[in-house]
This record gives sequence, structure tokens and C-alpha cells, in this order.
Amino acid sequence: MSELELGGLIAVVTTLLLLTGVPVAFALGLVAVGFLVAFDGWGTLNFTADVFFDALNSFTLLSIPMFILMGGVVASSRAGADLYEALERWLYRVPGGLLISNIGACGIFAALSGSSPATCAAIGKLGVPEMRRRGYPASVATGSIAAGGTLGILIPPSVTMIVYGIATETSIGRLFIAGLIPGLMLMGLFIVWGMFAARRHGYQFVDKDVSYSLRQKLEVLPKVGPFFLIIAGILYVLYGGVATPSEAAGVGALFCMILVAVIYRVWQPRQMFAVFRDAMREAVMILMIIAAAELFSYMMSTLFITQTLAMSIAEMEANRWFIMGLINLFLLVAGFFLPPVAIILMTAPTLLPIIESLDFDAIWFAVVLTINMEIGLITPPVGLNLYVINGIAPDVRLPTILWGALPFVICMVLAIVLLCLFPGLALWLPEVLMGPAI
Amino acid sequence: MQEPQPGPPGAARPGGGPLDLFILGVRRVSEACGVIAVLLLVASVLVVCQLVFVRYVLGASAIWQHEFVTYGLIAATFIGSPFVLLTRGHVNVDLLPHYLPGPARFGLAFLAGLLGLTFCALLTWQGFLFFHEAWATGETGATVWAPPLWIPRLAMPLGMGLMCLQYVADMVALATGRSAPFGPAEGPT
Repeated sequence: MSELELGGLIAVVTTLLLLTGVPVAFALGLVAVGFLVAFDGWGTLNFTADVFFDALNSFTLLSIPMFILMGGVVASSRAGADLYEALERWLYRVPGGLLISNIGACGIFAALSGSSPATCAAIGKLGVPEMRRRGYPASVATGSIAAGGTLGILIPPSVTMIVYGIATETSIGRLFIAGLIPGLMLMGLFIVWGMFAARRHGYQFVDKDVSYSLRQKLEVLPKVGPFFLIIAGILYVLYGGVATPSEAAGVGALFCMILVAVIYRVWQPRQMFAVFRDAMREAVMILMIIAAAELFSYMMSTLFITQTLAMSIAEMEANRWFIMGLINLFLLVAGFFLPPVAIILMTAPTLLPIIESLDFDAIWFAVVLTINMEIGLITPPVGLNLYVINGIAPDVRLPTILWGALPFVICMVLAIVLLCLFPGLALWLPEVLMGPAI
Repeated sequence: MQEPQPGPPGAARPGGGPLDLFILGVRRVSEACGVIAVLLLVASVLVVCQLVFVRYVLGASAIWQHEFVTYGLIAATFIGSPFVLLTRGHVNVDLLPHYLPGPARFGLAFLAGLLGLTFCALLTWQGFLFFHEAWATGETGATVWAPPLWIPRLAMPLGMGLMCLQYVADMVALATGRSAPFGPAEGPT
């Protein structure tokens, strides 16, 4: 059997195993061990524990539970509501200000909390009813929040980006900075579409029944300001190379804990235990997949599949954009069924050599991949955001939410196309701030 | 914030037969694992902040902190895993389980359980050999601090062994109709 046929067989077996509903981590581990034993003999079993353990033996991995913890702490408070309130008070006069506040609050809160469904719940609870009260069509109100919630995996700090950085050994600081401009661009596309759709339904962007005094505008700032400072601080120390991601995230988590204790009085041991427990659950899930994925890519490279695959694709001399398109299609389909971190860990070690042999940039690809993964967050069957919104606004039927979210999916595809045409959107800022990549 | 949730209908209750006792016992052990993993995470936050303070404020060099939190996280991953399994936190593809009719779903749940159990048993066995090697040779970490390596390595056979136990308990509950195939998360979520 040639390496390529073997690769195909592995893909089929992995897919079948995943379909049984066994946890992703164990499916990957079983495939890895099974193929190693079948093709390299029983002796390879001795490496299993070694590879599995070594995959976890890294200080950088600590940034994962730390950022999740930071997000969990923020999500457990009323910070999302205040953020929404602050943006709304400052932007209510701007045409489409309410939409901008909502999508903006989603983007910022998703970046802070790192959780897309938590964002939809926190911002949507206030935003969806308010938008509908002021006459926005239900599809725009629900779709914009569902889409806005997905921004968090692109806008830094992002656990998804960390996981990509670990899986591909690229700089996490650089990845974070690279997501910034595309994140804002995507936010802009969402807003433009939202305003266009609302106008098409006859909505006039003049809110006469709302007004806020300067005092009301100012009083919300002290509550939301500190969280911005934490994000800015983390980005600063990361791009400046002052501290490692784990250190920045650990201190960020502590600061967020202090902030929610002071501002929102969230400090009771029971509440904090729940926050820690949920963070631990998510981190353990991700770390298990990281370890198993390492075993998987160890198998793939021991059996020369990774190398052969990259080489034969380079030798095919097909159009590189055609292959990039195929890769994105594959990732898109995977995104319908699996969460972003699982997909990245499974595919990135195999895809990266292909990407690089085709002269694509690993950082640029991270941004494209992440936007692609965002699509999976608002498409069935795993698009959790849709169900969260459905829970908030039970009178809006799920198909309406789906239809409302669809144009935002098209915005994401458009963003990917723009990134392909202008790679500088992702690569310019990291180069200016951190110098050219080595 | 959350009150302890009563189990799903038919789930193990105290005072039942030996099977109920077994399921409940395993459940308590897994919950205890969750608490240990949480404590390890709390310790990691504190140690990382202490590390930052020592390095950037006092300008001294850190000796033991990196290794401590790295091993702590490894231990939390293995030991926390049974709790994550108990609360259905290990992410999976639930496409087929979602659309299959009852009996097929039952079979699939059993198959998925067997597959998971197989891998966990394998890691328990290999993890034990890996731990035993460090124990027998007295191998230590390659830093100034030089902690004995058997301590972090012990977490693998221990955690994965308890995973096996949780898998067995889940499958017993499934086979005896105490829980539904791919049922909702049991206990605190």
C-alpha cells in the first residue's frame, strides 16, 4: 500500500470512528495506536505514553486554562450587560447605532469571555428584545447577535489562536495581532449588512424615543474600562515579548477575578468554584485532544504520510488557490460537526506542510482558518449560537434565525475572499509591530 | 449558585442494590477527581502570578515555578478527565447519535463506550510502565529543581485508570437502563 492510499484509509477509519460518537480525543488516539501497531509492529506501543505525556509537557499550554478561566470569570458577571449599555449610550445617535452597539458588544465580550454561546446569551438577552422593540426585523436582530458571538475566536485574546499556535509552533503573539484587523473588518461587514437588511425592511435609523445625558454616558465607563485595559495589557506584553502567553494569561485571569469581585461582587467561594470547575472541564477536554492529536501526528509522520501528502500536492502543480479552496471546503464541512479547537488540532499538523509548500503564510492561514471555523458556529447541527438565541427569543422560529444568520455567513466568506486578495489585512500589523517573520 | 441536581430518572440512588452502589461510588470518585483538578488549577494561577512577581517585579530568576505548573497541569488533565467524562464534557461528533432510532442508538452508545474504554485501558497500562520506569530509575527533571519524574507520571495511570472505571460505570448504567444512550450530562454541568 502506498503512503497516499494509507493516508486515505486513515482518513476513512478516523471519520468512521468519530461518527460512533466516541470522544474526539480517544478516537484520534485509537486510530494512531491502531495504525502504528499494524504497520510498525507491537514495539511502537512503548512510545504511546511517552508521546502522550510529552505533548502536555509544555509551559505554553498553561495559557489555555488561564485564558478560559479569565473568560469564565468575566462571563460570570454582569460585564456583558454593562458593555452593551455603554456602547448603546455612546452610539445611540449614529444611524444603526443600536446594531453597531450590539455587534460591537458581541465582538468585545466574545474576545473577553472566549465563549461564543456565552456571548450570545449575555448580549442577546438585552440586545435582541431592544432591537425588535425599536423595529429591527427579527431576522436581523437574531442573526447579528449569533454572528457577532463568533467574533471572539478571531479577536484576541483567542483560545482558538493559541491552540493553532501550539499545533503549528507559530508565535501566539503574532497570531493574536494578526486577528485584530480581520476581526474589525468582519465586524464592519456585519454592521454594513445589518444596516442594509434593516433599511430594506423599511427601518429608519432615527431613534427619537431614546436619549442619554452626558452623566449617563460617563457613569458606565468605569465599569467597562478596566476590562479593555486588561486586553490591551495582554496584547502589549505579548507583542512586546515582555512575558510569555501563560504568564500574561495567568495575571490577566487574576486581574479579572479582582475586577469582578470589586465591581460586580462576584467572589463567593461557591461561585468561584463553579467558574474554576467549568474552566477546568473545558481545558481538560482541549488538552486531552492536544495530547491525542500529537499521537496522531506522530503516527502520520512515522508512517511518512504527512511528508508524502505535502510532496505529492506540491508535485501536482495544480493551481495553489484551487488547493486552498479545497482545503477550505474540507474545513468548512468539518466545522459543521466539530468545534474549532478539535478541527485545528486534528488537521493543522498535516495541513501546515502542504500550506507552506504552496507558499502560503502560516499566520495568514490561521486567520483564514479561524474565519472558516466561525461559520461552523452559526450553522446547524452544532451551531450552538443559534440554539442560544432561540432560547432568548422563543417566539422567533429557528428557521427565521437561520435565515437571519445566513447573510452573515456570506459576510464571513467575503472576508475570506478579501484576505486571499489582500493578505496584508492579516500580515501587515504583525509585521509593523513585531518585525518581519523569521 | 447551583443546587445539586437530582439525577436523571432511573439513575443511581443511594440505598439501591450493589450496582447502584457501584455507579454511585464511581461517581463520587470522579467528582472528587474534579475537585482535585480544580485545586490544581487554583494553585497554578497563584504560582504563575507569584512567578511573574518574582521575575518582573523583584527581578529574580524563577527556579521551580515553570515545572511546578506544567506538571500541575498534566496532573489536572489526567485526574480531571474522569469528571469531564462523567459530565459529558469530552467533545464528540453527535450527528449519528442524534438521528438514529432508539435500539441503534443504544448499540452505538455501547460501541462508543467500548472504544473509549479500550483507549483508556491502553493508556493506563502504558502509563503505568512509563511511571514505573521513572520510579525504578529514580529519574528526575532536567532542571536545577530536579523533581522526581514519577510524581507527574503517576497521574497518567491513575487518571486513566479512573477513566476506565467511569466508562465501566457508564456502560453498566446504560446496559441496565439506568441511563439513556448519549444521555444528558449527569450531575453538575
